[in-house]
Amino acid sequence: MAYVSTANRRPGMWPRVREGLGSWLFLLPAVAFFVLWQLWPVILVAWYSFTSFRFLDPNSTTTFFGLPTGWVGLANFREALNDDLVWEGLKRAAIFTLLFVPGMILIPLVIATLVDRVRNGKIAGVYRVILLIPAMIPGPLVFVLWKWLYDLYIGPINYFLVDVFHFYTIRTQPQWLGDPHLVFFSIAFMEWWWGIGYHTMFFIAGLAAIPHDLIEAARLDGASELRLWWNIVVPRLLPVILVLVVIRFGSAMAVIDEYLIVGGFNRTSPTYTWTVYMWETAFVTGDWRQGYAAAIGWIGALAMLVIVVGMFYLFRSRD
Amino acid sequence: MIDHPRARQLFADALQGKANRRDILRRAATLGIAAPVAMSLANLGGMRSAFAADAGTLSVTYYDWIVNLHPALNTVNEDFNKTFPLKAEVAPTQGFGIERFVQEARDKTSTWDMYIGVTPFLEMIALANSGTIEPWDEYLPDGFLDDIPDSIKAEGTYDGKFYVWPFLLDITVDAWNGDFVEKAGLDPKTAPATWDELIANAKKIQDSGAAPFGVTFDFHAWRSLVPITHSISTDVYDKESGLFLWNSDAAVQALEIMKQMTELANPDVLNEGGVDGVGPDDAAFTGQQVGYWVKYQNAPIQRAATWPDPTKLGLGPLPKVEGGAGGTVFWDTGAVLFKYGVNKQQAADYMKTITTDQRIWKESVAGDPDNGVPAVGQLPVLESIWAEYEKTPPDWLTANPWATEVWKSLPNASAIHPTPLSITQFNVAAPFYVDYLSGKESDAKTALTKAWDAVNEELKKTGTATPAS
Repeated sequence: MAYVSTANRRPGMWPRVREGLGSWLFLLPAVAFFVLWQLWPVILVAWYSFTSFRFLDPNSTTTFFGLPTGWVGLANFREALNDDLVWEGLKRAAIFTLLFVPGMILIPLVIATLVDRVRNGKIAGVYRVILLIPAMIPGPLVFVLWKWLYDLYIGPINYFLVDVFHFYTIRTQPQWLGDPHLVFFSIAFMEWWWGIGYHTMFFIAGLAAIPHDLIEAARLDGASELRLWWNIVVPRLLPVILVLVVIRFGSAMAVIDEYLIVGGFNRTSPTYTWTVYMWETAFVTGDWRQGYAAAIGWIGALAMLVIVVGMFYLFRSRD
Repeated sequence: MIDHPRARQLFADALQGKANRRDILRRAATLGIAAPVAMSLANLGGMRSAFAADAGTLSVTYYDWIVNLHPALNTVNEDFNKTFPLKAEVAPTQGFGIERFVQEARDKTSTWDMYIGVTPFLEMIALANSGTIEPWDEYLPDGFLDDIPDSIKAEGTYDGKFYVWPFLLDITVDAWNGDFVEKAGLDPKTAPATWDELIANAKKIQDSGAAPFGVTFDFHAWRSLVPITHSISTDVYDKESGLFLWNSDAAVQALEIMKQMTELANPDVLNEGGVDGVGPDDAAFTGQQVGYWVKYQNAPIQRAATWPDPTKLGLGPLPKVEGGAGGTVFWDTGAVLFKYGVNKQQAADYMKTITTDQRIWKESVAGDPDNGVPAVGQLPVLESIWAEYEKTPPDWLTANPWATEVWKSLPNASAIHPTPLSITQFNVAAPFYVDYLSGKESDAKTALTKAWDAVNEELKKTGTATPAS
């Protein structure tokens, strides 16, 4: 009787399809979630950016799935790249980011290092809770709190500067939110305070993962505390730093709520960035040129993407 | 059967969610449509109309502050509900956002029958051109338009049709802290007649140490620049586009007046950040730091309510310039009728009710101390109401003579003309006039010419939609 090996026989088409279908069935919820919640809005905005869609114009029609008609190719991108407000807005956002991100990384990094050295567990716990309190406060309350702190008439900061220490008069007192030279610093300071606990926790978790014998060995070799921190601790926290820098870079470049609250739509204010311009174009001005606003959004997003890729390269693991 | 126009209309209404389940079943039975088809239509209609305005229940949505500031509306609503079912709710919109309403209109549906919260010069054109709202004309009570002052009628009219039913009236006036005026040796009962007098008084207040600052104005400076311009001339709008003539002589003169005021104002007066109620001018006046304030009347009334003695608040008409028009700016917060709403006649009936109900106006002018409701200061718009007040003035009005004074300044007031640029006209012009007010630009005419050019450039860039048919 001839022996027929089945070991190398390829399975029939149907079982493979059936097996594949089964897998896809299990994957379906995740895929649907990803496509509808993540991918579809991106596709929609990309589509918008190639159209002349104006939301308030009844002649601006949409077709299936709400996709606008009125294809204009790259016209919106060409116009946006020649629009001074787009470049000025990107520059302003970049200035804020350059001010904000280093502080948002360095301050929690230093605090985490100090808290990590507290050997008494209870005291270390108290520090962590106190540091986390700002992160627990809802955004609107944070804005109200800091608006009060910065207020010229009832705010405690200017009260001390004017009435107690007499550094300024009531006419020369610093306008924390109104002075174009101070406004970014004031917003950044508020954001540092708000995010300090959250970021510190990231670093404390990262510090816990550094082997103690590595630090002890460096100490035995005579490394100073500063050198130890710079050469041993910081390099090993680079993955954490990368995550935080990328997250905070993205959120800093795309800030809008704070700018709208503080500066409104004043186009000469430092807070009138590309995000505010995009919002004003899409929801305030004329017929709401949402096609053009989408192109502004894509230019901003692509600019950020290029920098994020650079960051991944800069902070790549050296081990 | 589908060729039958009534059947076609039934299918269309069901698909668009413009009819409720009961209505669809009733109409289907009348047309002899098979029960399974009727049930399917009813279910479909029910799904859509879960979000659409319902025939048989008037669905009203308000901009949030309207109900917050006028709680008497709730009582009036309860009474109206006894005559016709009413569903009233705060609009789920951010700021004065209208995108939800426009998007629904694009889908040929509407969750509500009407929206109360429109300022005509800001949103009317956008809502009309996008086909979101329809005119009230067909549903107005007899003689209603004759009962509205011409200027208010014109404010709510676009393309010859009456789109915004006026509800709450605000007029830009001159307010002052009587305590500071008196301390500076001035008469707290008399409003300055001219801008020169106001500036001189403000200087006296500041120089005498009565208050740190003499005068302040709206933190959206255009909301003071335009009224001051109207006090000089009201002929300051482009005939074709409706744009404010930024480089007109009257506007230039007004900006020069504002420059003098800026020098006596709180240092953050030009900071446009913040929202109404907590702007830098609000803070300065509330905190009793300033003598005079140019603002729409409801703001000083609300801010002074927190003073130790609110009776020290003075209110008067805007000052004038010699030979000037003596005007000011008014605007209404009004109601619009959604094109795809259903209970349109009932919407008009509702507006008539709340526009004339005296409980709302009593509370607005005098507050409701028993229930801890402060006066808000917004006024009724109908001439017949004011004629009745003149004939038999109610106690609460006699006790608040400012209300009549403010109303009397209406004949000289004009609305800001609506334009397709809406608020952006002022956002675009702001940097240029602020440059002059802050001293970066030395010539008012140059600053406002730049503003005019920038606004026209923006208009060209933005384009406009053709009105929806």
